[in-house]
Amino acid sequence: MALPLPPGLTPPEIAFLCEMELVTVIPRQKLERLELLGGSLPPLNPPHRAPLPLWLALLLKRQRRANILPPLWLSPHSLTAILDHETEHGDGFSPPPRLPPLPSQNTLPFSPPFLPSSTADAAPDALPYHWLELGEMLLETAADDFEDPDSVRKLLRGLREVRMAKLRQVVETLDAAGGVNMNGVGGMEVAEGRTFVTGVIDGLRKIVTSREQQKKDRDREERENGDDYDDDEMEMQ
Amino acid sequence: MGSYYDVDAILTDAQKVPCTFELTVPGLGYVEGNMSGDMKQGSKVELPLWLGEMLAFSQSLNTSSLVTLDPPSAVAPRVLNALKADPRTVDLRALAPHFYNLGARILELFDDDEMMEVLSETFKARAAVIADQAHNPRGALGEGADFMRGLDENERQLFRAAHDSAKAVRTWMADLKKQ
Repeated sequence: MALPLPPGLTPPEIAFLCEMELVTVIPRQKLERLELLGGSLPPLNPPHRAPLPLWLALLLKRQRRANILPPLWLSPHSLTAILDHETEHGDGFSPPPRLPPLPSQNTLPFSPPFLPSSTADAAPDALPYHWLELGEMLLETAADDFEDPDSVRKLLRGLREVRMAKLRQVVETLDAAGGVNMNGVGGMEVAEGRTFVTGVIDGLRKIVTSREQQKKDRDREERENGDDYDDDEMEMQ
Repeated sequence: MGSYYDVDAILTDAQKVPCTFELTVPGLGYVEGNMSGDMKQGSKVELPLWLGEMLAFSQSLNTSSLVTLDPPSAVAPRVLNALKADPRTVDLRALAPHFYNLGARILELFDDDEMMEVLSETFKARAAVIADQAHNPRGALGEGADFMRGLDENERQLFRAAHDSAKAVRTWMADLKKQ
């Protein structure tokens, strides 16, 4: 009856999804074009930069066949600006990167992870969905590609603390209807906050069950009356 | 409410509520400890919630119901006032191990908007403290120990959920370093 895992994704699963994000690498060796199930990867031709999925970039980095160019938002300057924004605006998270304009009428709009939000030319002033996972993984494997890995690490820690504290404070503004603005919250933060926030909403709903029941009954009555009214109208026509 | 096999729901229903008998029932004196006597009209007895509810609200043949229910002491006005003053300092576990479940059941029986408001606010205010304690490694043992002892069952589950998810993220980060 009881599943061993809580609802939602576990942190390793989130990290796995994050490995699909494209990052920019500077190859040190030539590599032919690779045909993979998810599409073909560009041929690597040093010293030209190429976008690769994170998992391959980390693999090549570990084998010393490539260097990873960290995205601009992972620079100490951008992170400091974002952290300042977070601490100044206590009532919301820093906004996610802007979506590009819709291509045309008939194509589907792109959204993360199909947007290159972590390549070298990504927006420098916003945290993308997988910011925490990507930052941690890059810092772990490719710390020497950062100019100042220690301060980046420290800033990421600070951001995580500030944002998790905000996510916890969210419960004080909750009501049983459960509407919370969570724009800009990252994947790992959702995984961390999910069980707590849903637990609070469940508890609140349990307390106000009787009121909800009354409201439901009233709504049903009103709807039934409303239906009668519509029927009358139909007949008039 | 919850599932038929929900242990918490069963334990909630087993909590005692004060009931007043409206009729004299022959031979029921043993409930009061009076082995051979009758249950007198107007005598007050503590009955489990499920039994009291059944006796008070069942559609009997008589026009009047057998007993009247009173709100239990756990949600008495004195407690609600204390919760209004400061939700953090009240020991809910001492009042009732399933405090919020009991409150929800009482609210189903008695329409009391003020109690609903107080319980919701209390739950929210305490949930914020619980989340802080769950993320603070020393909180649950050090200065927060008294507060943690006063959590009811719902709140304990909440603490566990918050603690486990934070721990899962920390474990993932530690595993990353091992690779």
